[in-house]
Amino acid sequence: MCLDNLAHVIIQKMSERRKNMKAQNFHRWMVYVVITLVIVFFTTVGLAAPKGTLTMFHAGSLSVPLAAMEKAFEAKYPNVDLQREASGSQKAARKIADLKKPCDIMASADYKVIDKLLIPGFADWNVRFAINQLVLCYTDKSAYAKQVGAKNWYEILQKKGVVWGHSEPNLDPCGYRSLMVLQLAEKYYKIPGLYDKLIANRPKENIRPKSVELISLLQTGNMDYAWEYLSVAVQHGLKYILLPDEINLGNYKFDDFYAQAVVKVTGKKPGTFMDIKGKSCTYGVTLIKDAPNREAAIAFLAYMFEPDGGLKILRDMGQPPFVPCRVPTEEMKKKLPAQINKLVEVRD
Amino acid sequence: MIKKELFFWITVSCGIVILAFILLPLIEMLTAPSFSMLKETFKDKDVMRSIWLSIYTAGLAALISFVFGTPLAYLLARTNFTGKKLVESIIDLPIVIPHPVVGIAILSVAGKNHWIGQVFAELGVRIMGSVTGIVTVLTFVGLPFYINAAKNGFESISPRLENVSRSLGASMFSTFFRITFPLAWRSMLIGIIMCSARAISEFGAVVIVAYHPMIAPVMLYERFEAYGLKYSQPVAVWLVSICLALFLILRILTLRNRKET
Amino acid sequence: MIRVENVNIHLGEFTLRDINLAIDENEFFVLMGPTGAGKTVLLEAIAGLISCKSGTIHIRDKNVTKMPPEKRGVSIVYQDYALFPHLTVRENIEYGLHFRKIDRGETGKRFNRMVEILDLGHLLARLPINLSGGENQRVAMARALMVNPRVLLLDEPLSALDPGFREEIRNRLKSLHKNSDVTFLMVTHDFADALSLADRAAVMNNGLIEQTGSMSDIFQRPNSTFVADFVGMKNLFGVNFRDTKACIDELQIELGRTPDNSHGYIAIRPEDIVISKERLVSSMQNSFTGIIKGVIDHGLFYEIKLGLNNVTFRSLITKRSFFEMGICEGMDITFSFKSTAIHYF
Repeated sequence: MCLDNLAHVIIQKMSERRKNMKAQNFHRWMVYVVITLVIVFFTTVGLAAPKGTLTMFHAGSLSVPLAAMEKAFEAKYPNVDLQREASGSQKAARKIADLKKPCDIMASADYKVIDKLLIPGFADWNVRFAINQLVLCYTDKSAYAKQVGAKNWYEILQKKGVVWGHSEPNLDPCGYRSLMVLQLAEKYYKIPGLYDKLIANRPKENIRPKSVELISLLQTGNMDYAWEYLSVAVQHGLKYILLPDEINLGNYKFDDFYAQAVVKVTGKKPGTFMDIKGKSCTYGVTLIKDAPNREAAIAFLAYMFEPDGGLKILRDMGQPPFVPCRVPTEEMKKKLPAQINKLVEVRD
Repeated sequence: MIKKELFFWITVSCGIVILAFILLPLIEMLTAPSFSMLKETFKDKDVMRSIWLSIYTAGLAALISFVFGTPLAYLLARTNFTGKKLVESIIDLPIVIPHPVVGIAILSVAGKNHWIGQVFAELGVRIMGSVTGIVTVLTFVGLPFYINAAKNGFESISPRLENVSRSLGASMFSTFFRITFPLAWRSMLIGIIMCSARAISEFGAVVIVAYHPMIAPVMLYERFEAYGLKYSQPVAVWLVSICLALFLILRILTLRNRKET
Repeated sequence: MIRVENVNIHLGEFTLRDINLAIDENEFFVLMGPTGAGKTVLLEAIAGLISCKSGTIHIRDKNVTKMPPEKRGVSIVYQDYALFPHLTVRENIEYGLHFRKIDRGETGKRFNRMVEILDLGHLLARLPINLSGGENQRVAMARALMVNPRVLLLDEPLSALDPGFREEIRNRLKSLHKNSDVTFLMVTHDFADALSLADRAAVMNNGLIEQTGSMSDIFQRPNSTFVADFVGMKNLFGVNFRDTKACIDELQIELGRTPDNSHGYIAIRPEDIVISKERLVSSMQNSFTGIIKGVIDHGLFYEIKLGLNNVTFRSLITKRSFFEMGICEGMDITFSFKSTAIHYF
């Protein structure tokens, strides 16, 4: 409103001035006015609270809760524009470490990815904020939908003509976690060779880079069964089969049992590999060291770690949060920025 | 010599700017990788397999467009009927629709939630993650290019030639094969080239329908995302070089024929 | 031979209504009319390239209305000849033979005769793009006649040619017709072509056939103002008939016979009006004095515009007579014409 009036006044004054001055002088005067206005504009803009673009790379399984958080956060800080890029968590880490893409916050479906690929070069700390477990999703149009259950899922997945898949283990933790579930199932149900038999019925064509892509394949009837996180299944209204805690990677008490599963994934260069051992699904988030918009990033993380803020959204969407969020050591807690420090506890 | 005026120089400058705009990034990309990297990529079976898959699926798509598109192109060139403009707009739709939308649309029809998808499932035809699916997508995006080129070719042939042929006793089939086709084959070939070119470079629609088996653009993108420029540029160089070579050969073949006649 | 009965055609901007034509065997029939009259459309309908909304077409008493063009035995030669550009002259001429049972000896003889008559021997291996207009036309004729059609349709064959050649081509067409037993149906917008070639003719305008008959009928007894104008009857007037006289306002013209109607039109050929400097004492019952309103140069002769009481007559006079008589604009002049030269309708 006042900008409007201001504009009017300026224009009026300009036309008065114009009548009184010679052409040359008037143009010089105009330049001064424009420069002053520009400086005023940018300083006023520069002095506001968290603002600008906030970039976040995150796991695909966090898409739905983060979308809700984005809305709430941007309502609180209207000058901030949160731009998210979802992908597999390793891929997100590579974008930051290898491709040097500018990023403020990175949220991973497996906190280990942050530890292995981002600390200490690109991040100083790693806050664990939620857990998840793997389930087998399907729709009522899936083959054998009426017969499938917790007792016979591994038999159904071996049947010819059943199309089932998971995400790419090299790019997405959900991918290697799916394979771990299968390895653990072999041990838990005591069926030797079960893993190989299952993989034999899952051709390469049924793998997708991101686990959320599998959802649309399920919904259009192009796939019968897909491995996904429980939170994602709930968020998309899919049918799912809950598996025993021993194999669903959702209960940290069974970490020793989980450690029996090992998956080889690609390393930093094509041709190199690294081993990932099974562990319960713990999500981690960090602030990137050279974040272009550190101020807004801290404000967002502060909101995310609030029990009534981001954590509540996570819970409402089927993903159990840690309340409060955790870091493993006192040392790491000291590295946290002030606004976040008070929202986090030390626990391993 | 008559002095050239400003208008001439402006047009020449625009031309140079455009050529530079097209050539500079391509030259940069083609010269960036080292020879050893190119050799290594050439030996990589996955890369070569994906390039071959791209070429062969694009070729199939062009062939299907040729077989099914020619009669329609001929019909559009020779007849006028109510709704002709609508039909022509429909044929151009694949050009206008954003590529991922094309992929999503085809995937939705191909799944068991759609009656067509159910028919496919019964017949054992698989669209998602298969060569069939890739060829389906490529045909979808390539068809308008073939049909429009062929239609233009047919339109440039006077219908009187066909009329005379028929009055001399030839049926429509004979007329088409003896008169229309020999005069129009160049346009049809150009249509096939354009359709294949479009198909080979398709990414957004294919990646939604089939990530594996990987066509070259998908592999390029995957390499870029996972390992960066250094590992994706050689793949790009091979893909572009092979495609350019193929199209050049095709062009030369047609040029030689023209000289013969 | 060809019977077109009550044919109606709707094609884009062309609407042909109630077309009735009867063409005899071996006739040279000409279809005349201005551009846009629908002549080519009718031609293509007879060939089977355009379908009729209603009506029938019979060729040699066979109903061909629903027959496709390849079965009708009708060849067509277009104005632009439409030679197949990718085939040589020989291949063009022999094209139609692919679709019939042929007796090699017979067709060989026919081919040689055709090539001889049309003087194409030295052109056989050439491509149409390397031929002149006249050569193109000869090849097109050869191609059309090679298949022994029952009917040959010609669409304005002379329009694309230099005027100097027209007479030569007309003669060629005439001799081709005489030497074959094919019925020729030719379309033209030039009345002179029809005069020299046609046995019978029809005049078409706006999708309707205005008049059919022998050339002398049409030429001398046009039955409508359009036809009269088309055949060059420049003295065309709307009149009231009283007894044996036709009246244009106060001007009374002696007809020598009594028309049935009370009003209509009279038409007099300009060649039939004789001009003289003094009053003529002659058997011509119509003799008037008027003023020369204008002189139009037509190359070989002059057209004189004669004015009398707001009525303008036109007469033709050779250039020689013009100069000998010393005629100029504004002069008083006497013009006369026989009552038998007046055509009324």
